[in-house]
Amino acid sequence: MEKLFDIFLLMLDGTQITLEIFFVTLLLSLPLGMLAALGRLSSLKIISRIVEFYIWIMRGTPLMLQLLFVYFALPMIGIRLPDIAAALLAFTLNYAAYFAEIFRAGIQAVPKGQYEAAKTLGMSYPQTMRRIILPQVIRIVLPPVSNETINLVKDTSLVYILAMNDLLRVARTIVQREFDMTPFLFAAIFYLAMTFVLTWGFKKLEAHYGKY
Amino acid sequence: MANTNTGEIMLKMTNIHKAYDNLEVLKGIDIEVRRGEVLAIIGPSGSGKSTLLRCINKLETIDKGSIAIKDKFLVQTKDGEAVYASGKEEREILSSTGMVFQQFNLFPHMTVLENLLEAPMQVKGLKRSEVEPYARELLAKVGLSDRADYYPSQLSGGQQQRVAIARALCMKPDIMLFDEPTSALDPELTGEVLKTMRELAAEHMTMVVVTHEMAFAREAASQVIFMADGNIVEQGEPEAFFAAPKEERTKAFLQNML
Repeated sequence: MEKLFDIFLLMLDGTQITLEIFFVTLLLSLPLGMLAALGRLSSLKIISRIVEFYIWIMRGTPLMLQLLFVYFALPMIGIRLPDIAAALLAFTLNYAAYFAEIFRAGIQAVPKGQYEAAKTLGMSYPQTMRRIILPQVIRIVLPPVSNETINLVKDTSLVYILAMNDLLRVARTIVQREFDMTPFLFAAIFYLAMTFVLTWGFKKLEAHYGKY
Repeated sequence: MANTNTGEIMLKMTNIHKAYDNLEVLKGIDIEVRRGEVLAIIGPSGSGKSTLLRCINKLETIDKGSIAIKDKFLVQTKDGEAVYASGKEEREILSSTGMVFQQFNLFPHMTVLENLLEAPMQVKGLKRSEVEPYARELLAKVGLSDRADYYPSQLSGGQQQRVAIARALCMKPDIMLFDEPTSALDPELTGEVLKTMRELAAEHMTMVVVTHEMAFAREAASQVIFMADGNIVEQGEPEAFFAAPKEERTKAFLQNML
């Protein structure tokens, strides 16, 4: 019993790394994704093209490869980041690309008539986006954003290749040392608990934004 | 409808030309609307009537010609090119127009009252307490006082369109533009919207109405224009226009409509 408690404590440490990557990535990639979506929709061709290229690279290569690139290849050109920063950079750039496409689709799903109505009422472009378009976009994008967010919880386990002690790596280390499979069970329960909370949270958000 | 024709000129469009790529949709249109007048624009689909209306508030831009609203030029042609007023001036000129769309275009995430308050508060920077009494007054006028806290999706099409009219009026425009306001409605719901529009006309609101409702044009308009293929084919006061159209095209069109 005491042994189980020790394992639990060790894994709690690992969970901390997992949660840190999760929250910081989400916090950075959501606004960056929105910015990229607006850039993608920009009438300036050059901006739209650059963002399109960025999204293609990020969605077209494995996240694992991007992690390795930031961690091992960037130092070769003189950019050396601490472990956690390297992981966060790769995760943020990757998830922002996916969010950008979700937001772009959401923005385009709002009927043209909404822009026209706002315009004929004298509203400026920033006012129209902030007050009229984005609130409707949030409702449209909540389900796909919820999907990506749950994916992110599980993708955090990829940092094991950077030798970071996240939840799954801690579990594996204990399993290999003690020949006891319980840590895997614990890990599964931890991940499920996190996704349970997220699912519940997004359900609340959808109810809030779905009232009309 | 009584038409004095001596009021101040509210809208003057001169020699309006517009083309999409090679397709000429407006081929030199002239229009003049005085204060308190109701101009009805009728014609077959593809005649350019909606495009013409949308040029008035710059939802569409013109290639050549000039548009003046209350004596201020929104756009003028200089050296063969249409030049629009600068940003600030343009906003000021356009603020005297309000528009009602075929598809209502209410803001779905806001209640009826919030739809009315949005622009006065955001654009004019008014406080809620300064706008709300007027907004509620307008809702009463369109017969929807009891729907102030409903969302647009909870209303019928006719109710939504009446909210849209009230929303436009809440910005206190001098000219109201209507783009086929009853075309998306079930026949039994067009009456309530037309009634609201008739009341507006009776209060001497200056209106430009693109419509397929011949009865409305006949009773409420002070001037009727028939457009086809980007041209004005015929225009006149409704009595004469409907009783004795001169052009063959007009006769054929009216025959089909009535």
